[in-house]
Amino acid sequence: MHRIAEETADKQAILAVSLSFVVAMFPHFFHLPLWVSGFALMALAWRGAQARGWLWAMPKWLLVPLVLVGGISVFAQYWTIVGREPGLALLTVMASFKFLESKTHRDILILVFLCYFLLATHFLFGQTIYIAVYMFIALIIITTTLVSINQRDENVVLSDRLKVASRLIVLSIPIMIILFILVPRIPGPIWGITQEQRGGVTGLSDSMSPGQISDLITSNEVAFRVKFDTDIPSQEQLYWRGPVMVNFNGRTWKQAKHRELNSLNLTQTSNPSRYTVTLEPHGKNWLFGLDIPTQILPDSYMSSEYQLTSNKAINDLKRYSLESTLQYRLEVNESFDYLMLASQFPDNSNPKTWALGQQWAEQFDSDFSIVQQALQMFRNQDYVYTLQPPLLGQNSSDEFLFSTRRGFCEHYASSFALLMRAAGIPSRIVTGYQGGEYNEVGEYLIVRQSDAHAWTEVWIDDLGWIRVDPTAAVSPDRIESGLDQALNDTLANFKIGKRNPLIGQLLYNWDNIQRSWNEWVLNYDPRKQARFLNQLGLGIQSWGDMVIALVICLMLITGGYWMVGWYRDRPAKPAEYELLINRLLKKLARSGYQRQPSEYMDEFLQRIKQEQRYHDEHLAQIFQVYNKIKYARGYQKPTVLKRFRQLVNSWQLKGDNTRK
Amino acid sequence: MLASIVPTAMRRRIDQWIALRNPAARDVIQLHNRRLYILPTRFGYLYALMLFVLLLASINYQNSMSYALTFLLTAIGIISLWQTHRNLLGLNIRLKTPEAVFQGEQLTLNFEIENPQQNIRYAIGVQYDQQSPAYSRVDPQHKAKLELILPALKRGLYKPGGITLFTRYPTGLFHAWGWLKFDVPILIYPQPRFDHQLEHILMEQHSGKTTVDMADGDDFAGLREHRQGESLRHISWKAYAQGRGMLTKTFQGHANPSLWINWSDMSANSLEGKLSQMTALVIEAQQQGRKFGMKLPGIDIEQDSGSAHRALCLQHLATFKQNQENSELSVSE
Repeated sequence: MHRIAEETADKQAILAVSLSFVVAMFPHFFHLPLWVSGFALMALAWRGAQARGWLWAMPKWLLVPLVLVGGISVFAQYWTIVGREPGLALLTVMASFKFLESKTHRDILILVFLCYFLLATHFLFGQTIYIAVYMFIALIIITTTLVSINQRDENVVLSDRLKVASRLIVLSIPIMIILFILVPRIPGPIWGITQEQRGGVTGLSDSMSPGQISDLITSNEVAFRVKFDTDIPSQEQLYWRGPVMVNFNGRTWKQAKHRELNSLNLTQTSNPSRYTVTLEPHGKNWLFGLDIPTQILPDSYMSSEYQLTSNKAINDLKRYSLESTLQYRLEVNESFDYLMLASQFPDNSNPKTWALGQQWAEQFDSDFSIVQQALQMFRNQDYVYTLQPPLLGQNSSDEFLFSTRRGFCEHYASSFALLMRAAGIPSRIVTGYQGGEYNEVGEYLIVRQSDAHAWTEVWIDDLGWIRVDPTAAVSPDRIESGLDQALNDTLANFKIGKRNPLIGQLLYNWDNIQRSWNEWVLNYDPRKQARFLNQLGLGIQSWGDMVIALVICLMLITGGYWMVGWYRDRPAKPAEYELLINRLLKKLARSGYQRQPSEYMDEFLQRIKQEQRYHDEHLAQIFQVYNKIKYARGYQKPTVLKRFRQLVNSWQLKGDNTRK
Repeated sequence: MLASIVPTAMRRRIDQWIALRNPAARDVIQLHNRRLYILPTRFGYLYALMLFVLLLASINYQNSMSYALTFLLTAIGIISLWQTHRNLLGLNIRLKTPEAVFQGEQLTLNFEIENPQQNIRYAIGVQYDQQSPAYSRVDPQHKAKLELILPALKRGLYKPGGITLFTRYPTGLFHAWGWLKFDVPILIYPQPRFDHQLEHILMEQHSGKTTVDMADGDDFAGLREHRQGESLRHISWKAYAQGRGMLTKTFQGHANPSLWINWSDMSANSLEGKLSQMTALVIEAQQQGRKFGMKLPGIDIEQDSGSAHRALCLQHLATFKQNQENSELSVSE
């Protein structure tokens, strides 16, 4: 009994599937443990050498223990096999073993399917347009392999194989789009997803020490994009509130343990701003809102420090709509415990800062004057705002305030907060982003990692928590126009609009495409689907409607393909000259001259001449022209064809020509 | 494939239904929609399983790109269903009457596959039962030849059965096929078995040599007028060049006497054994150029010579007491 699946795979198939595997794996090689990548490549090399006859096949008795070793090694690496990275490592190792034992047509097909599956795993690590484009190219390569294996013809050139595969994919795209739009989306997750911290993502951290934010500043990556429903506030009002830190150990600021806010204790004194944020994944839990958010989102809570915090780490693109008020009074009745926390000054640290604060406390009556005094000091003395401040030692605030005087936002915020505490005013650090770049193409705001910022809040009787940004005192440009205005460092030249206007326009367009990608493709969830279908206005509302619409669309598309295919494949119609000559031959046959199937035109003519003892010059001419049109190059021209038509139509069997 | 999952009664119904839709053809079968069938292969089911897993993962991680990939792969599956079917549609298949062979030899079926349409047909396979298939590519408006080599297991007159023209192109996810039922005779002669006993029979009737005029003798005998149909090999070109016209050289040989191949003279015990002996004698007699006749129970064939006579005798031997004449040829033991 013969099974097609059990046929031995040929060398070409092995090499093609190896290439597909490398292409499907390639981006993973950068974050998999080195030994896993190395193992996979070695398995491929072995199998390739075996296909060429340089190495023997890996024997079964060796393979089984090796599989065990491989599995255990993965476990030893992560101490688990569930989750994104361990699962991927295990899949890679097992696929490599599959390569080593691959022999038949079936093995090769299974490996091709594995390659398809691997493509999906990349999307767990990122879903940008770039990744999508790479995966699409990889898909073409894998499909070319699949087609080649099933083509069973070694003589087909690569470009033809590629063409067949590309056509298959291009024809599939309309169906994919229909499925993407119309397949009813189910809200996930179905099973629990292990919460894992994702490394390698840029963003703010949950602590702040000198130098931390300035590292972030050099990154051009987009932190989030914001579309405003109301007017966009002016630059100096765009404070995007992130992690709030109140604990200070002498060098590093840290977040206090979160207390959930039960009710908003704030007085709004302006109209609220409404906007939608599309937050890029940053691997932490916090969400950003314009200072100060007045709403709580689903699946998240507001801490007592008015920090919006999601219940889940933001590992995928997150979209949310918020309301904020820009003028407010916050927590006028802050709890005593918290105010104590916000007044702590570690002993034996920064003695000069402590002394200065104490001095001010004696000198001024109101807290407000102390704040003014501190800002004045930053403004009037020779403090410099720079991205490359000198390194600071143990008493960072003392060193910065009294000797180096060169610093970045975190230096100013940290020292200012300490000074306030020394003077008896409760203070805390707020980190987040400040500003944003307006994209006029898409009419939205781009906030980048380079907009990262730190400022302070002080608590004053009857006024509550007030935002004070000491950086604004040193470098008003930073707040009013952004970082690149404030610094002459070319390092910080991030704004698109600052470049060549044409390139700037292109970059704005590209960023807008990325935003649409985020909004329409990556965020196409059950809610978005319902809204989109509603906007279409076709009355598609329930799942039943969706399924009916899906079936109709699929039938239309496949029916269309079928018809076009039928039309293009249909047998060719004989050319006009063939039809003419056939009519002529029929006429001749009726008068007794039947051309034999094997007879050439010349021979046929010769025979007629012989039997008739008469030479039909007209007929000879017709046959001559026919032969030329059919066999000689360059005669299939309208003029020749026209003459041929005239010749045939004017030919008549002469009365005495009829065979007796 | 169906056999394992469908109950017998239903299978018979399905077979009847298929037979009805696929009448046997003498010369050419055109694969139109009614003759074509398509089912997923095992890889097709595996692929579907993979798609299901991907869909679950997409839902679970709410990952739009993963959804998109799942749907694109689904679409590729749908398109390849259509393309696999289209790869067979409209082909014309001819089967030449195969040359008769002896039992134990290899039987060759020569198919000609014509593609009257404009699309290239890759990986067109033809398969007899579960034998290993032969593949070919058929270019637009071209013909391709495919050869199936089958073991000739049992003597008799058969018709071909269980031939499918199939394809899995382009993705291997679907198996499309059409049944090829040709009303073409397949003749398998008994296996010749020569032994000393037969030598004896040949010698026994070897008395009284006579000289006969024949074209294939040993000694040159003279020239006579060329008759139509005679081999050109024996024309005397020397005489022709001398302007004496077409003359045939004749030879005199020691022609062997005529022979009777008689069922009752055979020494073997079994029916098949006797037929094998008789077959060997027919071949031998033909080779020796002797006239021979054949006697089987109920069948008498007059003495004659020539390849047509030989074929007639062998055909009688092939079909003598065949269990079921003109049944479908079985190629598995």
